[in-house]
Amino acid sequence: MESLRSKAKELLQSGDVTTIIGYAAGTKKGKTKPYFAYTPEECEKLIFTPACVNNLVIYLTRKFDFMKKGKVAIVAKGCDIKTINVLIQENQFKREDILILGVTCDGVVDKEVVYDGNTLSDDEKSIKCITCDVNTPTDFDHLFGEGVESNALEPMTGGIYDEVDRVRGLSQSEKWNYWMEHFDRCIKCYACKKVCPLCYCDVCITEKNRPQWIETSAHSRGNYAWNIKRAMDLSGRCTFCGECDRSCPAEIPLNVINQEMSKLNYEAFEGYRAGYQTEEIPPFVSFKEDDKEDFIR
Amino acid sequence: MTLKLLKEDGLKKLVEAMNAADTRVVGPKKNEAGMVIYDEVSQVSQLDLDEIIGRYSPKDAFFPQHETVMRYKLDGTNVHVEPEKPTIKETVLLGVRPCDAAAVISLNSVFTWDYIDNLFTERKKKVTIISVACNNADESCFCTSVGYAPDGTEGSDILLKKTKEGGYLAEVVTEEGEALVARYSDIFLEGNEATEIEPIAEVADLGVSIDKIKAWLDDPKNFEHKVWDDLAAKCVGCGGCTFVCPTCHCFDLVDEPYGDQGKRVKNWDGCQFDHFTLHASGHNPREHQSQRWRNRFSCKFKIYPDRFEKKGCVGCGRCIRVCPVNVDITEAMTEISEMSV
Repeated sequence: MESLRSKAKELLQSGDVTTIIGYAAGTKKGKTKPYFAYTPEECEKLIFTPACVNNLVIYLTRKFDFMKKGKVAIVAKGCDIKTINVLIQENQFKREDILILGVTCDGVVDKEVVYDGNTLSDDEKSIKCITCDVNTPTDFDHLFGEGVESNALEPMTGGIYDEVDRVRGLSQSEKWNYWMEHFDRCIKCYACKKVCPLCYCDVCITEKNRPQWIETSAHSRGNYAWNIKRAMDLSGRCTFCGECDRSCPAEIPLNVINQEMSKLNYEAFEGYRAGYQTEEIPPFVSFKEDDKEDFIR
Repeated sequence: MTLKLLKEDGLKKLVEAMNAADTRVVGPKKNEAGMVIYDEVSQVSQLDLDEIIGRYSPKDAFFPQHETVMRYKLDGTNVHVEPEKPTIKETVLLGVRPCDAAAVISLNSVFTWDYIDNLFTERKKKVTIISVACNNADESCFCTSVGYAPDGTEGSDILLKKTKEGGYLAEVVTEEGEALVARYSDIFLEGNEATEIEPIAEVADLGVSIDKIKAWLDDPKNFEHKVWDDLAAKCVGCGGCTFVCPTCHCFDLVDEPYGDQGKRVKNWDGCQFDHFTLHASGHNPREHQSQRWRNRFSCKFKIYPDRFEKKGCVGCGRCIRVCPVNVDITEAMTEISEMSV
């Protein structure tokens, strides 16, 4: 990744950008961490390995405005760029406001796996990587790494979608029990919304207390309300970066519920997939006079 | 200190005997998602004593994540208020780690400070702690750097150490421990120092001084030091660290109304949340995440010692393991200790 480091240095030296958002070695074996380089010297620490799991796009959202001292360049995998596309689509910033240092990626490690420097087997990869079709990104300002072919099947099949389909096949009461069992473990830390680059509201509904829409209690009703509400909010927007699932201390299979929503959108809205385009209007904010549903016309 | 011996089947007998005596046993147990948490166990096979440490701390036994404080009912212009009196069962925390036991002393100092929190103290009275010394540690463990040890007895009523023969040597630490040993005297046999125990875990020493960290934090000019941004600008404020921490104790009181009646509940809260210090005026004295992170660090190494004369961090390492962006408290401890003169 010497080419990435030298490009980053060059960008800071020329003043094209003031901040590079990238990855550096973490404090524990086989782990990496988000890292901000403000000077050419600091770029020496930049790395990219299969341990670079974080979706750094969170740092492009307005909640992190304070750390940006000007134009920002971001190290982004294909999956991360999908999140950038949704943020552009939602007018959070413009494409020209940022520089994308794209990296090709053959998968990052799963939550429990410690990266040891060897090529990852499919079992060691994060489940999002199994269905990845953006191993070599298409939208970037500079690209680093050798091209990687995608092994993805048809969209919305294999990987996490096997579990999505299995849950779809359950009876209504089985489905209810499946989700209640998982949601019951929720500890209401809200790590899911905090790591999500698409949860950028200035005031979250969880913080609204007149009335208290989402109860703060970690009891079944409060947990259910929160997790269902968040899935609805991400419907047609989630790009399957998997950060919420990875960060959940309670191991709630958030990838399953969010990808169920993605699949529903794909089926209901002519193959719509969030993050693959910036021009198209997302299904939930568009209105068409020839909508096939009567109730909305 | 009294030494007792649990034979190989001693733990099994103990769990059975406590269950028969209607004592609630809470220990490390794998849940349906494969995480080890502290939960009720009915038989010894459910105990997972090989896990380095449970995902969450056992503080829930004293300070539940969610509990009702009182109930109320509106009657015209009158309000009837009924304080909650929960039935608390005799409980044994079995198989927690020495760091978690030590943390209960710190927690207790908060809940008995200016106001005695009866819900906490009543629970504490009913809980006996039988901790198990660590034979393994991971990269995130740092108890020895904050003055504790993998076989420390602080906060435990009884400390068990695994013996080479597969049983446990029991160090009885407190009167509560003595009482428990007496109650189950057919299970706790006479022990002696000659019993060979499994080697105690070696926990890496960070080489820091918590006194130096405290001295640095005491200096008001370091309050706005650049290091806070360097360490925690990347923090996303998820609050996972506060929820898994054995000494974090902040909570929020909220009313949950149901028509003309309702209840007041006490729910965990955390200083890493942006609305934790948000004033009604809209002003937030801790506007950025690094300020909130500074607060958590200072709470552990300055506020706890200043206000409660106790340590605020026991070195369990859970905050490091749970963090999605690798904010590492030991990194901050090392840097600050080095900067301190």
